[in-house]
Amino acid sequence: MSAWWVVLRKELLDAFRDRRMVVVALVVMPLAVPLILAGMSALGTQRQVEKLESTLELPVIGAGHAPNLVAWLGTQDVKVLEPPADADEAVRRQEYDVILRIDAGFAEDWRAGRPAGLELVYDSSRPLQSGTTVARLRALLSGYDQQVGTLRLIARGLHPAVAQPLQVGERDVATPGARFDLAQQMLPYLLLLLAFVGGMQLAIDATAGERERQSLEPLLATPASREAIIGGKILATAAFAMLSVLVTLLMYRAAFELLPADRIDTSLAVPAPAVARLLLVVLPVVLLGATVLTALAAFARSHREAQGYLPLLIFLPMLPTLYLMVAPVKTQAWMLAVPFLGQNQLILRILRSEPVTALEWAINLGAGLVLVGLVWWLAARLYHREQLAASG
Amino acid sequence: MIEVQGLQKSFASRGAVIRAVDGVSFAARDGEITGLLGPNGAGKTTTLRMLYTLMQPDAGRVLVDGVDPAVQPGDVRRRLGVLPDARGLYKRLTARENVAYFGRLHGLGEAEIDSRTGRLVAALGMEDFVDRRTEGFSQGQRTKTAIARALVHDPRNVLLDEPTNGLDVMTTRSLRGFLKELRAEGRCVLFSSHVMQEVAALCDRIVVIAHGRVVADGTPEELRARTGRASLEDAFVQVIGSEEGLFS
Repeated sequence: MSAWWVVLRKELLDAFRDRRMVVVALVVMPLAVPLILAGMSALGTQRQVEKLESTLELPVIGAGHAPNLVAWLGTQDVKVLEPPADADEAVRRQEYDVILRIDAGFAEDWRAGRPAGLELVYDSSRPLQSGTTVARLRALLSGYDQQVGTLRLIARGLHPAVAQPLQVGERDVATPGARFDLAQQMLPYLLLLLAFVGGMQLAIDATAGERERQSLEPLLATPASREAIIGGKILATAAFAMLSVLVTLLMYRAAFELLPADRIDTSLAVPAPAVARLLLVVLPVVLLGATVLTALAAFARSHREAQGYLPLLIFLPMLPTLYLMVAPVKTQAWMLAVPFLGQNQLILRILRSEPVTALEWAINLGAGLVLVGLVWWLAARLYHREQLAASG
Repeated sequence: MIEVQGLQKSFASRGAVIRAVDGVSFAARDGEITGLLGPNGAGKTTTLRMLYTLMQPDAGRVLVDGVDPAVQPGDVRRRLGVLPDARGLYKRLTARENVAYFGRLHGLGEAEIDSRTGRLVAALGMEDFVDRRTEGFSQGQRTKTAIARALVHDPRNVLLDEPTNGLDVMTTRSLRGFLKELRAEGRCVLFSSHVMQEVAALCDRIVVIAHGRVVADGTPEELRARTGRASLEDAFVQVIGSEEGLFS
């Protein structure tokens, strides 16, 4: 039996006997991810449905200037309210999503056939809260605008089409899974984060912990080579993180089965064949995380010091996600070679059921594994330092 | 058989260079217990660490059964059973699992590990706790487990760094008996200690180390004869040049 395998098996046995480690990696995290995402999705869908289907409560300033318009709004499921004293302040304080102000000269302009003035008061820095309501009111007003405009043209003996030089049709080419929203952007990040640092406890315990509890020196006195010892530890860390990702994906799927379909956005579900492909995508990240963590733990003098690097490691996989949120770009081949960015792109494409070519797979996996090789070499070098075991 | 010739090792510490081992030579023969005696900080642990290849000597050479660790480190580690100063166990594994892990790392088969473990458990008196997880073990139980782990591959040469540190009288006595059994089996036993009584009670040969150098080497009788002192204690004080650190 090779020493790699012996070390790998022992580290996993040791880890699975650590109840806290198992609960965090295989229960808490896998439960947290689907709950966060399904929760975000359910909440978002529910809010949109509510705002589109419920009665729109709309304070109107100067309702007396346009009684017909106000009456028409009443037929469109809008409840007109008395306006607050200070409209701007009320919107700013989020008391209302939007307030409609009707010009004092509205009636006069209307009768003269001049464009009559309306004003929407809203806060564009809160698109998530008020965007749906504002858009709904705009659509209503534009419908009224067109309706009256058409009637006016007919009254003047003109065909309404005269005022419509263009007819614009729409064809949506998005693939079925391609609806994009915040929750869907979070999934790649959470998956990559879990893949990257999911084995952290094991790596720290297996290296910094081994040194702290003084079991490293006897271990290094066995014939097992240091390459085999660190290799076994890295692979054990990777196996543990991979298991954590797998359980998370399965829980995530289960969550979508269990939650009522009308409450959540089903485009966020992960189809069964995608699970295998997602595991393949995160494999280099899992190995990279395992090697980086092991190298750090070998470098750090203690458990505490090793854990001090954690915030930095959590931030790393976040960078491409933030970048893509700010600047959603077209996938280019070189991006697939960038760690985290490439995986992020591939995960999104797999979730959107878009095809990934063999070349793209090769670029992504190849670049990831080369990086893993480099860090692995570094970790092995660190493990060869004399001070590693002899600091005591 | 362990031979050490002209071993040197220095450490850089806060700008200063400390010569921890400065030309140590001695031999530990099969079928004998050799004691490495010296005050704390004399260079005993560093010398042992170079023997089991944890550290590279700056100069000098080591031979274990004629094999040079600089050339074949893996082979040397196979020939040695080592109880280092650091003897931590895996607390979530049982004592038996701790021992078996090292057996596997030595490339032993499961049947061999079982039979070796059985013999060591009997010899060390570990029956009561061998199948318990090592968390919460007493110092004596930990040391016995660490010794069983070090000897699971049936090595010809046994290195022990301060084996009786922190043990109570009964455990120390049974450990001495165990080391004598190892000697009777024809093994080469080398152990370090800063406790004179310990060395006097057990050793066939004594190598006294102070300030990184060997200051005396011989049987207890030879040491007494050389210094002209009637008691070993006086002999030690004379060769080391001070009484510092020799009594526990």
